[in-house]
Amino acid sequence: MAPCASCFLLVVMFSASCKAITSSDQMCTEKEANKTYNCENLGLTEVPDTLPNTTEFLEFGFNFLPTVENTTFSRLIDLIFLDLTRCQINWVHEDTFQNHHQLNTIVLTGNPLIFMAETSLNGPKLLKHLFLTQTGISNLGFIPMHNLENLESLHLGSNYISSIKFPENFPIQNLKVLDFQNNVIHYLSSEDMNTLKQATNLSLNFNGNDIKDIEPGAFHSKIFQSLKFGGSLNLSVILKGLQNTTTKSLWLGSYEDTDDQDLTSDMFDGLCEMSVESINLQKHYISDLSSATFRCFTQLQELDLTAHHLRELPPGIQGMKALKKLVLNVNRFDELCQIHAASFPSLTDLSIKGNMKKLDFGAGCLEKLENLQKLDLSHSDIEASDCCNLQLKNLRHLQYLNLSYNEPLTLQSQAFKECPRLEGLDLAFTRLHMKGPQSPFQNLHLLQVLNLSYCHLDTSNQHLLEGLEGLRHLNLQGNHFQDGSISKTSLLQTLSSLEILILSSCDLLSIDKQAFQSLGKMNHVDLSYNSLTGNSIDALSHLRGIYLNMAANNIHIIPSPLLLTLSQQNTINLSHNPLDCTCLNIHFITWYKENLQKFEGSEETVCANPPTLRGVKLSDVKLYCGITAVGIFFLVVFLFLVTVLLIFFIKFLLRWKYQHI
Amino acid sequence: MEGFTVALLIWTLVSPSSSSNSKAWPTHTVCREGNLEVFYQSCDPLQDFGFSADQCSKHLKPKLNIRFGMILREDIKELFLDIALFTKGSSILNFSYPICEEDLPKFSFCGRRKGEQIYYAGPINNPGFEIFEGEYQVLLELYNENRSTVACANATVICS
Repeated sequence: MAPCASCFLLVVMFSASCKAITSSDQMCTEKEANKTYNCENLGLTEVPDTLPNTTEFLEFGFNFLPTVENTTFSRLIDLIFLDLTRCQINWVHEDTFQNHHQLNTIVLTGNPLIFMAETSLNGPKLLKHLFLTQTGISNLGFIPMHNLENLESLHLGSNYISSIKFPENFPIQNLKVLDFQNNVIHYLSSEDMNTLKQATNLSLNFNGNDIKDIEPGAFHSKIFQSLKFGGSLNLSVILKGLQNTTTKSLWLGSYEDTDDQDLTSDMFDGLCEMSVESINLQKHYISDLSSATFRCFTQLQELDLTAHHLRELPPGIQGMKALKKLVLNVNRFDELCQIHAASFPSLTDLSIKGNMKKLDFGAGCLEKLENLQKLDLSHSDIEASDCCNLQLKNLRHLQYLNLSYNEPLTLQSQAFKECPRLEGLDLAFTRLHMKGPQSPFQNLHLLQVLNLSYCHLDTSNQHLLEGLEGLRHLNLQGNHFQDGSISKTSLLQTLSSLEILILSSCDLLSIDKQAFQSLGKMNHVDLSYNSLTGNSIDALSHLRGIYLNMAANNIHIIPSPLLLTLSQQNTINLSHNPLDCTCLNIHFITWYKENLQKFEGSEETVCANPPTLRGVKLSDVKLYCGITAVGIFFLVVFLFLVTVLLIFFIKFLLRWKYQHI
Repeated sequence: MEGFTVALLIWTLVSPSSSSNSKAWPTHTVCREGNLEVFYQSCDPLQDFGFSADQCSKHLKPKLNIRFGMILREDIKELFLDIALFTKGSSILNFSYPICEEDLPKFSFCGRRKGEQIYYAGPINNPGFEIFEGEYQVLLELYNENRSTVACANATVICS
């Protein structure tokens, strides 16, 4: 019986240890020591004892707290942010947050609230953000208003609210964001709107409400930061109802799943009676588009006509001289000239991204846009055999150009001569062809950022990056170098101002010791996803305080002379390398453990060799590389044998000597 | 020793098995009509979701109407869909499609928040195509701008 009992004891101990493991699985994750914790999805019914009293940011969503009261969070009096999303809260009782003076944000999204006590939100001195999204509210009187004087944002989306009329004395004065998305508001009366009169520069969101009518004058002489009526079925009602209002931005877009009517030009007449800076009309269709459609757009500074089925903008639009920004993404232009750019002489920002057809770059289509600073033509299947001086003619002030994700472009020397002020140029994932050793970026003295990732560059052309003396950020990800090696005389030699260099996924095998010699200002070098060995680190010996990413390379051993180079850097990532954890690499491993704070991705920095240590984190490896115990034993035995032999030999020698006397 | 074996046996039976934590969600039927059957299973360890399509045939119509219901565990200001299609263990097709973007929220549910329950009944912007005979595995993943999973499904399409 005794052995059986001990067996049971053993079993109990086993299961106990097992329990301990499962409960430690249920722990909150620490994001910032003593301050930020995430306890989501743990099925908790109370605040765990393991959370320190100093917790400031607590994500506690998807747990189970049917009732919250003044004892629930009483221990955590330093809370600033509290997320109680979908905790099945029914009741928020009196004085729940009484001692939480710092509390700034309370998130109650997705809780089936039955009642909130009058004093349930009292306590916080500066409660700024309150999320009551999808909490079943049908009446704004439900919200306890005693401590909301400092409220800046109130989120009431996805409820059953039909009237935006706040109770008298509801503190509105500091409110900046009021979100009524996806409610059942059909009518906006003057009386409703007047309850918001104290708020200045309010952003009001009515997306997903089917507004059927607005009382004339409801918005009269009111000033807003933004108004959103997305997915409204009847746009003319809204444009008529907004008479005499002032708003910075007006969002009137539609969606794939809303059955809206086609717009007609006369619907926009209401715009003449209001003051708007920016309008979004995404996914609508204007059936009688002509230059007259834009009659009332004269004051407009920004217009977004994304996904409008546009084949052409009508020529000769009058009165849009003030327009600064025009977005024509996801339309159906055949040629760039079809936007008739001359109608928008003040334009500084133009985007024709994701055109649904192959876009012909044309010649000089934008030449009237003398003030253009930003141009985005990405994802539009643009192809050009001699780019880009003819196409970008006269864009003297262009600072940012995006031609990424297009079809092949053939560049010649000084390909961007027409835009000498370029500061940012993005050509990622667009194949670049060049006939011979051209220098396409020559004369771009102001260029700071150049993205050439996956451009299939001919990197053997040493003149490729010539003339970019101001360049600070270069991305060459996914390009290939001859023999997988960056030589002493590579195309990088001329970039003396470079600070950020990205050479990841370039199939590199080696980097010459002198390859980066002229790049003295670099502070961020990304060499990840190549096949480099430890010796490549030598190329960085002249740099100090940099961020170095060498993740996913072929580094086995880092020779000890190179540790000096590493130790002068700020942050290093060596994860996903087949690192050697034998005594051959002992200097590096010792140094690694002493400098753990320098390393990024240390969870994934593991040994590959010897097989017994494969997958073990480098920080957990313990190596003893002196003489081992077995070695000492054999040494002792050996010495002992030698001594014994010596004694015998001397004895024999003496005996032999004396025999002869 | 016999006692030990018995005890071990009892322990393995009584103690909560670790596999119960990662129990799989049930397999649901999207449709089973004529010669097409479509099943799916949620591969998000945290939750299941509901999905159905209005029409199910070898000649897939463009602009299908679908229904789905789920709880959001992430904000979806930006939402992307990855689809990977396999047959007999080899990959045929991979693509990624933006559903919600900051500058183009395609659907009315874009911009809804973590914790919201959403129900969508409406069209999707699919092209029409013919499904060839065979059995296909489809891995669908919805994720947001932080690469956090919003929904994940392992689907099987059997076309005969």
